[in-house]
Amino acid sequence: MAIESSQGSLQSVIGALVGNKTKPIARQAAMGFFTDTSLCIGCKACEVACKQWNQLPASDPIWTGTSYDNTGALSATTWRHVQFIEHIGRREQGSNGLHGGIDAQIAQAKSDGVIPMIAPGTALPFFNTDRWLMHSDVCKHCANAPCQEACPTGAIIRTEFDTVYVQQDICNGCGYCVVACPFGVVARDERSDHTAHKCTLCYDRMKDGIEPACAKACPTDSIQFGEVEKLKAHARERLGILQARGVQEARLYGVDDDILEGGLNASFLLLDEPEVYNLPANPARPSNNVVPASLRTILAAIILGLFGIIFFRED
Amino acid sequence: MEQIRLPQALRETVSPASLVERLATLTTGYTPDLEREIEEEPSYYDYPVLKESTWHWEIIWYFFFGGLAAGCFVIASIASLFGSREDRAVARTGYYLSLLTLLPCPPLLIKDLGRPERFLHMLRVFKVKSPMSMGTWGLVSFSLFSGLTAVIQAARDGILGRWWGARLLAGLPQRLIALPGVALGIFVGGYTGVLLTATSVPLWSRSKELGAIFVSSAISTSAALISLVLRLTGAPAHSLHKLERLEWTALLVEMTGLVTFLRGSGRAARPLVGTAPAEHGRAFWGFVFGSGLSLPWLLQSFSLLSGRRKNKQNNGRGIVISLLVLVGGYFLRRTMIEAGRTSSRDARTTLWNAKKVN
Repeated sequence: MAIESSQGSLQSVIGALVGNKTKPIARQAAMGFFTDTSLCIGCKACEVACKQWNQLPASDPIWTGTSYDNTGALSATTWRHVQFIEHIGRREQGSNGLHGGIDAQIAQAKSDGVIPMIAPGTALPFFNTDRWLMHSDVCKHCANAPCQEACPTGAIIRTEFDTVYVQQDICNGCGYCVVACPFGVVARDERSDHTAHKCTLCYDRMKDGIEPACAKACPTDSIQFGEVEKLKAHARERLGILQARGVQEARLYGVDDDILEGGLNASFLLLDEPEVYNLPANPARPSNNVVPASLRTILAAIILGLFGIIFFRED
Repeated sequence: MEQIRLPQALRETVSPASLVERLATLTTGYTPDLEREIEEEPSYYDYPVLKESTWHWEIIWYFFFGGLAAGCFVIASIASLFGSREDRAVARTGYYLSLLTLLPCPPLLIKDLGRPERFLHMLRVFKVKSPMSMGTWGLVSFSLFSGLTAVIQAARDGILGRWWGARLLAGLPQRLIALPGVALGIFVGGYTGVLLTATSVPLWSRSKELGAIFVSSAISTSAALISLVLRLTGAPAHSLHKLERLEWTALLVEMTGLVTFLRGSGRAARPLVGTAPAEHGRAFWGFVFGSGLSLPWLLQSFSLLSGRRKNKQNNGRGIVISLLVLVGGYFLRRTMIEAGRTSSRDARTTLWNAKKVN
C-alpha cells in the first residue's frame, strides 16, 4: 500500500513537471453553420438566444438611425448580429419586370392618382428583397483562422469539432487576434475580463450533442447547424433552387470560393455582393505576409550591415 | 487697419494642408473621390468591417525603445568587430545604451496586455506562424545577449570593481557573444514591422515594406542616439564621422522604403498621409518625412561634404540632427499605429483591399 501510494504521488509530481500527457480528444466531424439569408426575417431571436445561453450582457441601447439594426456590429458580448440592409429601388428593372423601384411606384402613384398593383409573389412591399436584406452575421470559424494563427499564447485553438475556440483562462488580452481577423469578429472585452471573446459555436452544447442556441431559436431555419460538408452540399442545392426560381442574385459565401485558402465552416447564402453585407470578397490570409515582409526586412538589414562594416573598416 | 491678404488661390496652393494633400496624392497615386466611391462601392452603412487595434502609447514607446535597443547593439557590435581602437568608444556606448533602452520594453509590453498578470502565457507556445510569439522569444533571447555584453563591458571598464567575479566577466569573449546577438538584434528591430504586416489592417498589410522600414529606422535612430551621447561626452571625431555616414545611409534606405510603402499601399495609405480629420498626414509629413528624415538627411549630407574638406566637427548641428532623427523615429511609430486605427474604421477601403486577387 505504502509503495503504491508513493508511486502515485511520484507520478503526479512527474505529471506536473512534464505536463500531463492525457490523450487529445478524438476528432469529430467538422461542424459549422450555414446561414441562408434568403430565409431570414430579421426577428433577432438568434441574437437574444445567444446572449441568454452564453450569459452575455446586453449592450448599451443606441439608436443608429440607419435601420432597424441597433446592434451595429459583432462584439465581445454580441456573437450573433442581424443586419438590416435597406435597398429602396435596388432592382429598377426588377427580375419579374412588373414593377420598378419604390421611387418609380411613387411617381406612378402621383401621376395616375392610383396606388399601383403589387407584382404577384411580392405581396408585402416593405418585406420583400427589393426593400430589405437581412443577414445574421456570426464568427466564420475559418478553416485557416487568422486569429488562431496569430494567437501567441495558444489560447485560440481548434476544437475536436474543427471550430475555433478561445480558452478564456489562457488568453492574456494581447489584442493580436483582434487585428488579425479579416471579418472584425473577435474583440477584447474591456468591461469585464479584458480577454478576447467571440462565438464558441456553443462548444458546451455541442459536447452534449445539442445544436447551438441561435440555430435552435431560428424560427425560419435561416440558421442551420450540422456537419460542414453536408451543410455545403445543402447550400449548393439551395442555390440551385433559388436560381431556378429566378433569384439570379443569390450566391454562396465561404462554400466553394476558397476564402482564406480553405473556405469557412460558417458559410452564407447572400442575395447581393458580399460588400453589401460588409463581407470582404477575398480577404488575404495575414500569415501569408510573414515571409515576404521578413525577406524585405532581411534585405534592408543586409544592406545597412554591409555599409556599417565598410564605414567602420576603413582607416 | 487693413491687413495685406494673399489672393485666395495663392493661399490655397501654399497652405500646409494643400501641400500635404499634394504629397499624399503624389506618393500614393490615389486621389480620393468620395462622391463616386459612395455611389459605386457598397458597404453596410459605412460601419467598420474590422475591429480597431487595442494598442496605444505603450506599444508606440515599445516599438521606439525596442528599435533603439536592437540598433545600438548591432552598431556597437559592428564597431567592436570591424572598427579601429578608437571605435571602442562607439562599442562601449552602444552596448550600455542597448541595455538601457531595453529595460523599459518588458514593462511596456506587460502593461499593454488586457491581463498583465498572465504575461507568462506568452511562453506557453513557440509558434513560427505568429510574429508575436516569435517576437516574444526573440526579445527574451536578445535581452540575454544585450544584458551579458553590457555587463562584460561594465566589468572591462572597471565599473563592477576588481573582485574575482568582475575579472571573470571581463575575460568572457564579448565579440563571440556579439555574433548571435547581432542576428537577434536585427530580428528585434524588424519583427515589429512584420508583426503589423501580418494583420488584416489595410494600411499595415497591403504593402510588405514595414519590417524593412522599422529595421532601417532602428539603425538610424540608434546611430543618432549613440552619436548624441558621444558628442556630449567628447568622443573621437573620426568615429563620429563613421557613425554619421551609417546614419545617412540608414535615413536614405528608410526614405526609399517609405516611398515604396506608400506607392505599394495606394489608397490604403490614406490614413497615414491624408488631411481628413482622422488622417495623420500633417504629423507624418511634418515630423516623420520632413523634420525626421529628409531635413536631417540634407543637413547630414551638407556636414559630411563640408566636414571632409575642413576636417572639423560641428557639434551644434550634429546634436540637432540627432534630436530630429530621434523625434522622427518616435513619430514614425506613433503615426503608423494611430493611422492603423483609422484604417480599420474605413469600411470601403477595407472591402476594396480585400478585392485584390491573392
